[in-house]
Amino acid sequence: MDTNLIKKTMGFNHLIDINEGWVDRRVFCEQDIYEQELYRIFARSWLFVAHESQIPNAGDFVTTSMGEDGVIVSRQKDGAVKVFLNSCPHRGNKVCFADAGNARRFTCNYHGWAFDSAGSLMGMHEEYCYDPGDIDKSTHGLKQVAHVDNYKGLIFANFDPDARSLEQWLGDFRWYLDILLDNEDGGTELIGGCIKSEINANWKLGVENFIGDAYHAGWTHDSGSRAMNNGEPFPPVDMENSFHASINGHGWEFGLEGMGDLVLLGRPKVIEYYNRIRPDMAKRLGEMRSKIFGSVASASIFPNISFLPGISTFRQWQPKGPWKFELKTWVIVNKAMPDDIKDEVTRGVMQTFGPGGAFEMDDGENWENCTTVNRGVVTRQEKLHYRCGINRKVDDHPVLPGLVYRGQYNDANQRNFYQHWVDMMEAPTANDIPYRWEPKFSGLETRDFAGLNDLKNGGK
Amino acid sequence: MTNGSAQLEAPTLDLIISLQQVLYKEARLMDQERYSEWVEMLAEDLHYFMPGIETRYRRDETDQIGDQTRMAYYNDNLDDLKKRLRRLETGTAWSEDPATRYTHLITNVEVELSDQEDHFRVYSNFLAYRNRNERDQDTLLGNREDLWRRKGSSFELVKRLIVLKQNILLSKNLNVYL
Repeated sequence: MDTNLIKKTMGFNHLIDINEGWVDRRVFCEQDIYEQELYRIFARSWLFVAHESQIPNAGDFVTTSMGEDGVIVSRQKDGAVKVFLNSCPHRGNKVCFADAGNARRFTCNYHGWAFDSAGSLMGMHEEYCYDPGDIDKSTHGLKQVAHVDNYKGLIFANFDPDARSLEQWLGDFRWYLDILLDNEDGGTELIGGCIKSEINANWKLGVENFIGDAYHAGWTHDSGSRAMNNGEPFPPVDMENSFHASINGHGWEFGLEGMGDLVLLGRPKVIEYYNRIRPDMAKRLGEMRSKIFGSVASASIFPNISFLPGISTFRQWQPKGPWKFELKTWVIVNKAMPDDIKDEVTRGVMQTFGPGGAFEMDDGENWENCTTVNRGVVTRQEKLHYRCGINRKVDDHPVLPGLVYRGQYNDANQRNFYQHWVDMMEAPTANDIPYRWEPKFSGLETRDFAGLNDLKNGGK
Repeated sequence: MTNGSAQLEAPTLDLIISLQQVLYKEARLMDQERYSEWVEMLAEDLHYFMPGIETRYRRDETDQIGDQTRMAYYNDNLDDLKKRLRRLETGTAWSEDPATRYTHLITNVEVELSDQEDHFRVYSNFLAYRNRNERDQDTLLGNREDLWRRKGSSFELVKRLIVLKQNILLSKNLNVYL
């Protein structure tokens, strides 16, 4: 990557002020800013590329995008995962056109250059036309992504050779991620297939919605809530016992009632299942996390993964220019679940958060209009209000790590998401990205700590 | 058809026309958002299924249409479908107001007798056009494979498989039935 493109700072600080609580609308619409997002954010972030369960066997692959760069995620014979550009080094053509499958090699349709499942160049059509010295096959494989790592089933990749480790990137957010990824023995898997849709909106609107916007749910989704839950409105929110928590731009908003999101899934058998495993979940993750699970909650991993623990939708907002994103939707379930419960979850997710889902249908319309109004050059200079709950910061919460705010109707996680966005847009190198929350669980297995208060006794 | 012959009899012209008329009526009810009347055309044991279709190589043996454990836009029984429709009755489905303008075109209708008495396999193609607000529009195209059962003087839909000819749904949502 040409780092000069990054070092030449444009200045982004003036676009956001999280202490005042506003965001400049140009971050949602301007092409120049979008191009810099691709360089500074997507080419330097740990990006989700696959779940382990999508590529269980040697030769299994999925294709996806990191930012707008197409990549192949490929399982090796030794079980490792490689991620490389889906673009032939000869003339640049794609070498794989499938969403997923199993392949011993990827062969370019143009001149028959063939690459093995590690991305190495094996040979080409009419190879005799190359004289000795014309090409060194060992250096003309598909370009490897600099780093690949895995957190409890989620495979991430990072283009930036100077990137911090995945553990540092996720930081103490791992403590929250365990609620989704490690609440039962065996971990998680994705249901087969992927539903993709295209929304004419800026990618950040999806992310910020899931990172903290419980506030929209009772209004936008009144119809969906009533449809899924026997005419009942969205579950009431307890502003005293609900929180926003943010770490490194990732965020989770949640109640502690344990039931809200599960009810909205509209599947009684799934509720029974979780009620059955919840006592074990409390032993495994501690009381607090077992109550967060299933509550009205939503979360995003910076920059573009979101999910609803309990409702089990898992999704990625893939940028396609400032005015458009592609939404990839999966269903995430515990491997240990019986098949009929997996089936119930899958049906429930597609009835709520598929493109034809009772909730999803009302979101796209909002995000599209939040974006397209900014075609107006006067409109786009108006700042947007992000001050909700700005004075509700909880310092030194005994259990919860991260920047914690009280009351899940709050803009706190959104503010911190945009703070991290600015931090990355401004940082000359990955090591210059400031920590707004000093990690407390470095090198530790976060599953083993019921909370911050457990750190002094070394875990449960 | 119950005589054990492998060759099914040809449907009568009357039957073909009757089932065609049923499909057209269904399309008209959907165009007019008369969903409570549409639901009357659906059987208690309905299976309404629209799988998500990934792009895969020809050699790939994944059963993208038959495997019902995979991701699907719709994999609904009658109660599931009614839940989705209930959203429209709440009066707070904001993205449905102003109303979407719909047109369903149903073509290529083929009727086959099935090996179950009073059950008929009906193939058709659809083009569903949607237009919203100022210039929001999209077009959904695909094939359907239905099983209709005779009910009194008419028919009820027992099974519908919808195969949409898109990899990425090229629209923000699916507020349309097919």
